[in-house]
Amino acid sequence: MLRLFVFELYKLFRLRSVGLGLLFAFLLPFLWALAPGLKEVYGLVLASGWQVVSLSLLAGMEFLFPFLVVMAASESLGSEVAQGTLKSLLLRPLSRTHLLLAKLLAVLLYPFVLLGVSFLGGLLAGLPHGLGAFYGGTGLGEGGFAGVGLLSPEMALAELLKAHLLAGAVLLPLASLALLYGSVFLSTTASALAAVATLLLMRLLVAFPALTPFLLTTYLDLHLRPQAAGLGLALLLIYTLGFALLAVLVFERKDL
Amino acid sequence: MEALRLEGVSKRYGRKPVLEGVNLAVRPGEVYALAGPNGSGKTTLIRLVTGLAFPTQGRALLLGEDVHKSPTARRHLGAVVEAPAAFYPYLTGRENLRLHAYLAGVKEEARIPEVLARLRLLAVADQKVGSYSLGQRQRLGLAAAILPRPKVLVLDEPTSGLDPEGVELVHGLLRELAWEGVAVLLSTHHLQEVSAYAHKVGILGGGRLLEEVALSGKEAYRLEAHPLEGALALLKALPQVASARLQGGAIVFEGDKDAALRALLREGFRVEALGPHRFDLLSYYQERVKHA
Repeated sequence: MLRLFVFELYKLFRLRSVGLGLLFAFLLPFLWALAPGLKEVYGLVLASGWQVVSLSLLAGMEFLFPFLVVMAASESLGSEVAQGTLKSLLLRPLSRTHLLLAKLLAVLLYPFVLLGVSFLGGLLAGLPHGLGAFYGGTGLGEGGFAGVGLLSPEMALAELLKAHLLAGAVLLPLASLALLYGSVFLSTTASALAAVATLLLMRLLVAFPALTPFLLTTYLDLHLRPQAAGLGLALLLIYTLGFALLAVLVFERKDL
Repeated sequence: MEALRLEGVSKRYGRKPVLEGVNLAVRPGEVYALAGPNGSGKTTLIRLVTGLAFPTQGRALLLGEDVHKSPTARRHLGAVVEAPAAFYPYLTGRENLRLHAYLAGVKEEARIPEVLARLRLLAVADQKVGSYSLGQRQRLGLAAAILPRPKVLVLDEPTSGLDPEGVELVHGLLRELAWEGVAVLLSTHHLQEVSAYAHKVGILGGGRLLEEVALSGKEAYRLEAHPLEGALALLKALPQVASARLQGGAIVFEGDKDAALRALLREGFRVEALGPHRFDLLSYYQERVKHA
């Protein structure tokens, strides 16, 4: 199983969407560090390199990172169907559940790699602004970007690491959902579209206040609200496992 | 025990039946060729046998194990279900085979160069599969299929995309594997080629197995005699004649030709021609499909 997982991971990082995604995640912080309109749009003057890291996270989590994760998870199955290699794998005495679980583990690791690359890009892009103590905030803690006084590098790093880990957890059910649709449609495009459409539809359900605390979309900004992590993380985990279980059930009886 | 057995296999997509109640069996060492026009259900049957698709009814057994209930049943299986066979284009031929060896539980390192050599692929083994020609990919597919020394080999159009030397290589390989005891099920449009070594041909039409033709290998004779009907009745009554039937204005029979000739002359039949009969599978198939 470990060798299968390693191979799935290798294949995942050979996907075009993953290569492009990692490139964008790395370059995005440089774009933000150089953006001339930050003050006009966000009322922000960069006071520290740490703020470049958080700005990239906030901007990326708006749409880009969820979309990249959904695309990667969809392509991990869809590309194998398109090039015919899925059939070759399943002609071997290999259980479909094992194969899908190996793929799932690989796509669940991807959000953390993506966010790690963004973090690294942010640190490099933020170097000219300095990574020492500064007056202000990371935008992720108390006082937003204005902060509440002097912020030490250790505290800034801790806030950013926590936010990136929470953001990674937020992206897990999206990867799982895309893999579920991948099992249903066996197509990259259909799976990605269905996953994005599901999230958009779920967002509309805010009109039903009784459902809101249980909706996946309620917790897509969990990295900004670490105080909600208790229920949020539990629900994200339930969604991730639920989508994964459905994906396995569908894939087990899917005609190829 | 049959190496491969289909019991009442049916497949529907929605309300559309693609296969209906197909029963067939392939014994170890037997080559079974599936023939049929496009859309007759050959590829669906191959996908069902290999466990890639699920039957609406019935079951497929590989050495007695249901291929849809137990993935380990496929440890006996080698298969190519697409032409050309699909591989990871960014890996070399050898690396792709190494992956297949791992998935199939093949631990012998020497087996990979052995199958590469058998399919004449050693020269390109360390090139990325993305640079392979269609024929090379098709041969690599066969190499991957025989890698775990399967007891059952299932091939969909194995000679598709191959040059004449490649076709000859594949036929030679299949003949050799059958001789070693491997049960081979293949779908083909090239009946003349496979009739040289296939033991049985299943003719599919409209999702049904219309007929199974046993290519027994026994010598048959073609007799032109007058009156034909009377000669046929006589031959059927002779203990030295195993079988006799009318075909295209003549009688085709299996058995002792000298005894048959003596009996015909003794009974006063006019014998116009008697010689060895070569079974024309293609004509037979065309006739059968036309009347289906």
